[in-house]
Amino acid sequence: MSTRERRIRITVNGQPREIEVETRKTLADALREDLGLTGTHLGCEHGVCGACTVLLDGRPARSCLLLAVQADGHEVQTVESLGTPEDLHPIQRAFTEHHALQCGFCTPGILMSTLWFLRETPRPSREEIREMLSGHLCRCTGYLQILDAIEAASRSLAESGT
Amino acid sequence: MNPDGGIGAAVPRREDPRLLAGRGQYGSDLRLPRMLSAAFVRSPHPHARIKAVRARGIRAYTAVDLRDVGSIAPRWDGDGFRPTAQRPLAEGVVRYVGEPVAVVLGSSRYEAEDLADRVEVEYEPLPPVPDLATALRPEGPRLHPDNILYRAAFAHGDVDSAVRAAPILLPVTIRSSRCTAAPLEGRAVTAWHDGRALCVWTGTQVPSLIRTALARCLGLPHHAVRVLVPDTGGGFGQKMHLYPEEVVLSWLAVRLGVPVQWVEDRRESLVASTQAREEEVEVLLAARRDGTLLGLRARIVADVGAYHVFPTTAALEPLGAAQILPGPYRVDHYAYEVLAVATTKAPTGAYRGVGMTVGVLAMERAMDMLAERCGLDPVDVRRRNLVPESAFPYRQASGLLYDAGACQEALDAVCRVADYAGLRAAQRSARSAGRRLGLGVACYVEYTGLGSATFRRRGMTEIPGHEAASVRVDPDGTVRVALSFPSQGQGHETTMAQLVADVLRLPLDRIAVEPVDTQSGPHGSGTFASRSSVAGAGAVLAAASRIRDRAAAIAGALLEASPQDIEWATSRLFVRGAPSRSVAFQDVAEAAYRLPPGGAIAPGLEAVEYFDPPPATFSSAAHLAVVEVDSETGAVRVLAYYVAEDCGRLINPLIVRGQLLGGIAQGIGEALLEHVVYDERAQPVTTTFMDYLLPLATDMPPDVREVHVGRPSDRPGGFRGMGEGGAIAAPAAIANAVADALGVQVTRLPLRPEDVLHLLDPGA
Amino acid sequence: MKPPVFDYYDPLTLEEAWDLLDRYGGEAKVLAGGQSLMPLLNMRLARPAALVDLNRIPGLGSVQVEDGVLRIGAMARQHDVEVDPRVRESLPLLVEALRLVGHVQIRTRGTIGGSLAHADPAAELPAVLACLEGEVVATSRRGTRTIPARDLFVTYLTTSLEPTEILTDVRFPLPPPGTGWAFHELARRHGDYALAGVAATVRFADDGSIADLRLAFTGCGPVPVRALDVERGVRGARPSEDLWEDIGHRAASALEPDSDLHASGAYRKRVAAVLASRALRAASSRAAAPPAAADEGRGGP
Repeated sequence: MSTRERRIRITVNGQPREIEVETRKTLADALREDLGLTGTHLGCEHGVCGACTVLLDGRPARSCLLLAVQADGHEVQTVESLGTPEDLHPIQRAFTEHHALQCGFCTPGILMSTLWFLRETPRPSREEIREMLSGHLCRCTGYLQILDAIEAASRSLAESGT
Repeated sequence: MNPDGGIGAAVPRREDPRLLAGRGQYGSDLRLPRMLSAAFVRSPHPHARIKAVRARGIRAYTAVDLRDVGSIAPRWDGDGFRPTAQRPLAEGVVRYVGEPVAVVLGSSRYEAEDLADRVEVEYEPLPPVPDLATALRPEGPRLHPDNILYRAAFAHGDVDSAVRAAPILLPVTIRSSRCTAAPLEGRAVTAWHDGRALCVWTGTQVPSLIRTALARCLGLPHHAVRVLVPDTGGGFGQKMHLYPEEVVLSWLAVRLGVPVQWVEDRRESLVASTQAREEEVEVLLAARRDGTLLGLRARIVADVGAYHVFPTTAALEPLGAAQILPGPYRVDHYAYEVLAVATTKAPTGAYRGVGMTVGVLAMERAMDMLAERCGLDPVDVRRRNLVPESAFPYRQASGLLYDAGACQEALDAVCRVADYAGLRAAQRSARSAGRRLGLGVACYVEYTGLGSATFRRRGMTEIPGHEAASVRVDPDGTVRVALSFPSQGQGHETTMAQLVADVLRLPLDRIAVEPVDTQSGPHGSGTFASRSSVAGAGAVLAAASRIRDRAAAIAGALLEASPQDIEWATSRLFVRGAPSRSVAFQDVAEAAYRLPPGGAIAPGLEAVEYFDPPPATFSSAAHLAVVEVDSETGAVRVLAYYVAEDCGRLINPLIVRGQLLGGIAQGIGEALLEHVVYDERAQPVTTTFMDYLLPLATDMPPDVREVHVGRPSDRPGGFRGMGEGGAIAAPAAIANAVADALGVQVTRLPLRPEDVLHLLDPGA
Repeated sequence: MKPPVFDYYDPLTLEEAWDLLDRYGGEAKVLAGGQSLMPLLNMRLARPAALVDLNRIPGLGSVQVEDGVLRIGAMARQHDVEVDPRVRESLPLLVEALRLVGHVQIRTRGTIGGSLAHADPAAELPAVLACLEGEVVATSRRGTRTIPARDLFVTYLTTSLEPTEILTDVRFPLPPPGTGWAFHELARRHGDYALAGVAATVRFADDGSIADLRLAFTGCGPVPVRALDVERGVRGARPSEDLWEDIGHRAASALEPDSDLHASGAYRKRVAAVLASRALRAASSRAAAPPAAADEGRGGP
């Protein structure tokens, strides 16, 4: 095995994918460039903004702070797995109903965090949502409509028994 | 009004599904065959001569390669302007840390950075100009022969007499700190030549202006330059400028014949993208004992960084502040002096609230200080000075003509919704329990939707002032809309569709607002300074109205009725009084492209309209912030926030609220967290998001209560501009609230906990 | 901002990791959670010749309570420790501190050992380790050694770990039953590094006097600082509002914090005093009441 380049296998959104990458390549860049999944965005590349958040083995991770090779043999879930424009996930539907996105650049990361968060904490208080959301920077919305959306999503997921 | 999606409907946005599904197409998402990635070699010195560039086997492009390319040198038509010319790659001298000196290309950004690491530049450092004091020193270092890039003076009435006669003279000096827009998506430029034209895919707010400027720099005819605007992750004014990187990437694409892409990283964004604010405002209020204003004098000195920015120039920020300063108050005598001073920092450009934020901060702090001097409540002192409703349209002493200004109504409304008296009582009882609550009010008027007359009067010759829209009905009756003004999150894909839906009585999903592309869309000024709902909407409504008239004519021909007798229902046109004599809009469209016999119908169903709005349309508001200050640590929490706003008729209340909240968040950031710091050697200190602190969800108040007042404008649609209000007023409201909580004078932002503690206890 | 080239290794055993570190002789960096190292790599502020990734070595993330000690494997994720019922029950001070470490999206990857080895002067975990007088276990081919907190943190971002050593275990001695605890900090925003922070514990004797009191400050110098003189001097004293104020003030007066763009050293010192008083007040309300004051609420360590 080379120390500078590897052929790796990652299960991405349920699909096994095989790519060859430099070992220094971040997971974010591998997703965007090698796998064509540009829904994961880069806002800072130093782990503060959260725009690059994906789920690694079901838990949120800043993909700009992961090397692609670290995901070899693991499962990665990105925003593309949540829904399609014609068939949005309940969380996505709640976001559009509450105008929880403006430019949309930070949104995929927040969606992935929220997906994990609502599984862990199905009936969160607004304060708990706010605290979880503080791990994400948004420059457009002022956050309050995002809080509204996540609250609504938690209710609709609870109702549908998801 | 079409209840399904017309004007006023709080419809979810059309762009949301694809953005939510991760299918947005942002600047860095474009991948083209043979595309190369660029990395810039940037100056580590604030001021230095470039002695040599050694690339050692790497092809590094420098100013020598670009010697035939024009400079970024915005023009200004008027006195007091000293032009600057920024070379796309620094030539001979660098004037700020981060200024691009060379560019290299690699097969990936990783490789490009490796190559850039190997480029050595030899510099001979020159003395830095880190602040205004150094810049204004007579024997200090000079950046552009003169460090004063713009100066202006103005006087209305007789301020000297007012000052002499005034029983109360209140001098106030306010310092606003340097900020940066920090959109979540940095800049990104992809350029290629498609055989006929240079194509530039760039997240810009001003595509027509970028096209014009690139054509000028590269010596190309306009038809040979195409600017396409992708989904853009925020702009806030920062993306309304022509940047050296755009010029360089364009040149490379033409020269090399392959696509080239540059994606700004966060360090570049915080260091080399345009910055904002940083002004010193000296105000002298002359007032009567009852707190009514007699006159106002202001001197505004702005630290504008190393160069004028295109198209707005360094004049914009301080001149805007000076012109808005008297605000919504009755001021008969006003004089100002404005200086824009160059320093060795990144150039100052537009940022949400441009000019107005600092002007409002200064004036609203001064009004609170006046209240204290006269023993009045801050709300009362404002009531005594606000221009009454009956006086509008009102020619302010600044020369600006306010078509409206609902501040009296807004102030009353915000006090009502906040229960001002109740808050004061709560403040008193909290105080006796040892808690320091503070209330801060900020009233403002805001110029929006500026027309060409304003840009010409200012001298801002690079900005046209009009907007344009084309509305094209296709044979199946669906509608395409092309705009001159792109969105960076404001939702034009929805709001402009709502306008068309309203005029043509069509469901929203039959209307597609296309991405902005100078090749297929009309020429305009762009998206900035809250102009879309006045200037942009004016063009869209005009074009849609032409379609309406043409469609009525076609329907008339089909129904054998006069066009004047045609009425509209959802997706249908019918004869007045005989609703069964009707035709579907879809069939009207088809008839325009598959002409029925008889020759009564002319082919085609599209319209392009250009709209130059009146010089300015004024929005206004009153904001009220409630804060709590921890008097032991100086930490400030925003407990509650109230807004009463007149932005005319609303197109989409969800979007209006979103704009308000986003602006308030930025205002809270400016008040408490955000500061672009350069050290005494003009080295940037805030180079990451650990240093430059953006507000988080935990920094917002639990809620913002919003009410709308005022009345529709008499512009098309009855709209006023909006979007900047939160950023304009929140810094002032919070500054006033902190001052109110502690009984101290707040004269500079941001207020770190330490700064608050220092205000409380200067000796410690 | 892309990482420079390096040699990457993801060994499956600790022994392999030791050998790699030995081979690169200090030019290799250990990759644990990556939340501190990856930003440095992305910004090219760190240019190691090699990266030794510990994430595939099994058995380094366990959590156990044994003989009055909470033993945590160095690779245990901060979030896993934060929600572990054994930790919540045995050492809530650690949980309170962990909740202030960045954001949950950082803590799902960040590790307990990684935070200690990174030794940021304003981090929370070093202060907790210092407060409880815990220790870490460092291993290499040359054997195992135990490093107590007071010897671990040397200066800014520097521990006494050799570049060829790997921190494998962290041990937090549990305070005796009835000890009250608190972690207070002041940050510019929620989740930021502390401008100043303090871990506090207090335990009362049967007669209600202070039997043991500890304060460990973070953000107030290059390493966490214990207020040992003050702690010793206060044993046997009777608790009161004035006492907490006085202790906070005296403990902070010995600090020499640095200045940066967020706050000056003088401010940090002042706030440290306030935080210490508040933390002691909170800790004492959580401490078990001495038998003399029978109706008081029960606390626990």
